[in-house]
Amino acid sequence: MNIKALLSLRRGRPSLPQPPEPPAAAPALSAGGARVTAPPKMADNLPTEFDVVVVGTGLPESIIAAACARSGQRVLHVDSRNYYGGNWASFSFSGLLSWIKENQQKTDLSDECEDWRKLILEDEEAIPLSSKDKTIHHIEDFCFGDQDSAEGVEEAGALPKLPVFGAPAAQRVSPGSEETPAAERVSPGLEKENPTVESPGEEPQTPEPEQAPGTEPARAAPGAEAGAAPGSGAAPSTASGESAPEPAKTEAAPSESAAQEPKKITYSQIVREGRRFNIDLVSKLLYSRGLLIDLLIKSNVSRYAEFKNATRVLAFREGKVEQVPCSRADVFNSRQLTMVEKRMLMKFLTFCLDYEQHPKEYQDYESSTFAQFLQTRKLTPSLQHFILHSIAMVSETESSTLQGLQATRKFLQCLGRYGNTPFLFPLYGQGEIPQCFCRLCAVFGGIYCLRHAVRCLVLDRASGRCKAIVDHFGQRISANYFIVEDSYLSESTCTNVCYRQISRAVLITDRSVLNTDSEQQVSILTVPPLEVGRAAVCVIELCSSTMTCMKDTYLVHLTCPSTKTAREDLEPIVQKLFNLNTEKETENEELEKPRVLWAVYFNMRDSSGVEKSSYAGLPSNVYVCSAPDSALGNDCAVKQAETIFREMFPAEEFCPPSLNPGDIIYDEDEIEPEESGLNNSPETKPESSAEESSSGDGAAVAKEE
Amino acid sequence: MMAIRELKVCLLGDTGVGKSSIVCRFVQDHFDHNISPTIGASFMTKTVPCGNELHKFLIWDTAGQERFHSLAPMYYRGSAAAVIVYDITKQDSFHTLKKWVKELKEHGPENIVMAIAGNKCDLSDIREVPMKDAKEYAESIGAIVVETSAKNAVNIEELFQGISQQIPPLDPHENSNNGAIKLGRQTSQMGRRCC
Repeated sequence: MNIKALLSLRRGRPSLPQPPEPPAAAPALSAGGARVTAPPKMADNLPTEFDVVVVGTGLPESIIAAACARSGQRVLHVDSRNYYGGNWASFSFSGLLSWIKENQQKTDLSDECEDWRKLILEDEEAIPLSSKDKTIHHIEDFCFGDQDSAEGVEEAGALPKLPVFGAPAAQRVSPGSEETPAAERVSPGLEKENPTVESPGEEPQTPEPEQAPGTEPARAAPGAEAGAAPGSGAAPSTASGESAPEPAKTEAAPSESAAQEPKKITYSQIVREGRRFNIDLVSKLLYSRGLLIDLLIKSNVSRYAEFKNATRVLAFREGKVEQVPCSRADVFNSRQLTMVEKRMLMKFLTFCLDYEQHPKEYQDYESSTFAQFLQTRKLTPSLQHFILHSIAMVSETESSTLQGLQATRKFLQCLGRYGNTPFLFPLYGQGEIPQCFCRLCAVFGGIYCLRHAVRCLVLDRASGRCKAIVDHFGQRISANYFIVEDSYLSESTCTNVCYRQISRAVLITDRSVLNTDSEQQVSILTVPPLEVGRAAVCVIELCSSTMTCMKDTYLVHLTCPSTKTAREDLEPIVQKLFNLNTEKETENEELEKPRVLWAVYFNMRDSSGVEKSSYAGLPSNVYVCSAPDSALGNDCAVKQAETIFREMFPAEEFCPPSLNPGDIIYDEDEIEPEESGLNNSPETKPESSAEESSSGDGAAVAKEE
Repeated sequence: MMAIRELKVCLLGDTGVGKSSIVCRFVQDHFDHNISPTIGASFMTKTVPCGNELHKFLIWDTAGQERFHSLAPMYYRGSAAAVIVYDITKQDSFHTLKKWVKELKEHGPENIVMAIAGNKCDLSDIREVPMKDAKEYAESIGAIVVETSAKNAVNIEELFQGISQQIPPLDPHENSNNGAIKLGRQTSQMGRRCC
């Protein structure tokens, strides 16, 4: 074991030239995409020869990078963005605002310099890559007016209908001046952080608040749809607001005045506490027996992350949110089910666990939908609803009996591994997971360059294979295999590809959709389609202990396959579940619902399931990874990564457990700690120990089932 | 028996200042002249007594991701302390130190213990960074500072002892770990409990 590991590690460690000098002081790292940093002037000693070049740091690319480095390949992993994860990324609040702004500015750099074409030799051909991400559309963000709007003018409580929108506009005499003192700058920021409507000429929108009961402030919409308004760049962005020091009184004053509602969170608090947010662009959960969990454990990448159990599965039925009892314990403890229902449900769920053993029970319904099958099973309507929408999570009109049974069984099989629901959520957000695989890759010698754009793939005419990339420095980097994320491919490569879209909404709210004794709940709720032909909407509500939002707020993700724009698809659901009014206009029944403090809608391109043959002119040693799909789990990405890896290296194992290179470097004289078989009890002696020893981890993996 | 506290410590600093060497000296009491720049152990551990606790340091190395300024935010998550390393013979590395501190303040946890290590103090004849500068800077940001030599084993233990002493005593509320789940070996027990 040790020897083998040693060997594989030896191979895994590329011999890098020691940089003669430390890299020049360059402006720091990514993280959250809060800043857009100019690319470093020069890549210091970036090697020009690799085995595998991976372009894009989304989940499948990162898994492949890790797998390749792990099997001894020399890997270069680049991303043109200044953050990890591509469309799998998560952002702090200010980072998300910058991301929104960036994606609203649809200015394509057509004046692009094509100098790199000179570098292509005669027996070569260039396949240009896209320089602009075109996967995000219809972004609309909203800040829901709250008392904060007046904080800038220091009016605690007593500001009923002051021209909230006019006031800051009037204040902002010099919108371009970044030198505005922080306290003043905050007020335009809070009032409306969407820069697209901040062009000074838009005062006519001022009367909006009076005429908009029952809908969100419509003011943001036109601006957002029209794209970047002139001058928006000059307006003080909230990104700067986050770090801007604010007078502490702005927080204290309104919360005192609004004493009847405790812990009222204001927009400025969200901005100030912005780094407590880790807002995922995709909203997914990990099935506790899904492929991703298995891979995390198998590869030991799991040691880089921590998780929270989803604590509740919810249903939305007859206008009400209720908890779905799904585990045996839940069913027995449920107060909402009658004894008869409990028995029915248990009987049905038990049947689903091994339905294949009882073909007679469902044979006659194989051609019907699962919903029709459920109707024959002596289940009350509420139970049918729970099973169809919250447990199987399949379509009422389209999913067959077998699909429903399979989905139900998958759900049930995942119960109990880590808790009472089948799902886990990574602390700090889904965006951590690609980074964890990248770290594994780096530990095994993979080289990482963010903000590193690739101009083109270089095709060797004779062999028909790709032999190199040309990067934004005009540097040619050669390799045997190339992994490229779909969004990096140019329009001409993708002309024949038919993409689907995902509709997404992210809300920051002030309380849970279902209040119980504990505030710290992670809930998943499936809202059945409101009209035929639409898809069900998956709602995931995260609490602050998931480290994705600030205290006393909830982060709510809504996801469905698109039929229209994200806002058209999701806003009806948001209106049913949440209160979008400013409190002055709030009616009593709305008070029951969580209040939305801030929201964003966007459509994201779903490139999953595209056949490689649909891409025009890609050589056989170029592999394409998909952006996230709309499914709840991550199986699609893991499958794709494994498939691509196996195509490239059929003889290699996919992500075997990794040892700590630290164990191995000093092999001659430091073998003992490894062989002493320390498992889980390093407590025995306060001595140095090599973490994650092979023996310990191997045992854990073997033990899992 | 003394309580064991696991403390994540992340290393920061330019490529080539001796981050990995410091860990190797501390954990393995070993120094290798030819250490390759990317040998980043995933993390290494060493347990040291501190008062009536045992501190088990999980020391994370950058795995070379700092080389092209591509450290992932996950690297900082949950760190109790950070060791920011510069090379006393390279003024540049002291300049970038400040960038690392800024980075840490932006992306690292609040209340993280910061320790600055001026490494390669065995080469003080070609020193470029005066100790005084480092001291003043460390004071200004509330960090511990020592000059170390991973090669000659100078002040390495002291560096980590210093960190140990700065770690605030265990908050009983944090003890439960807030219900976070670690996958892998612990979870096999966890699973059993839940089933």
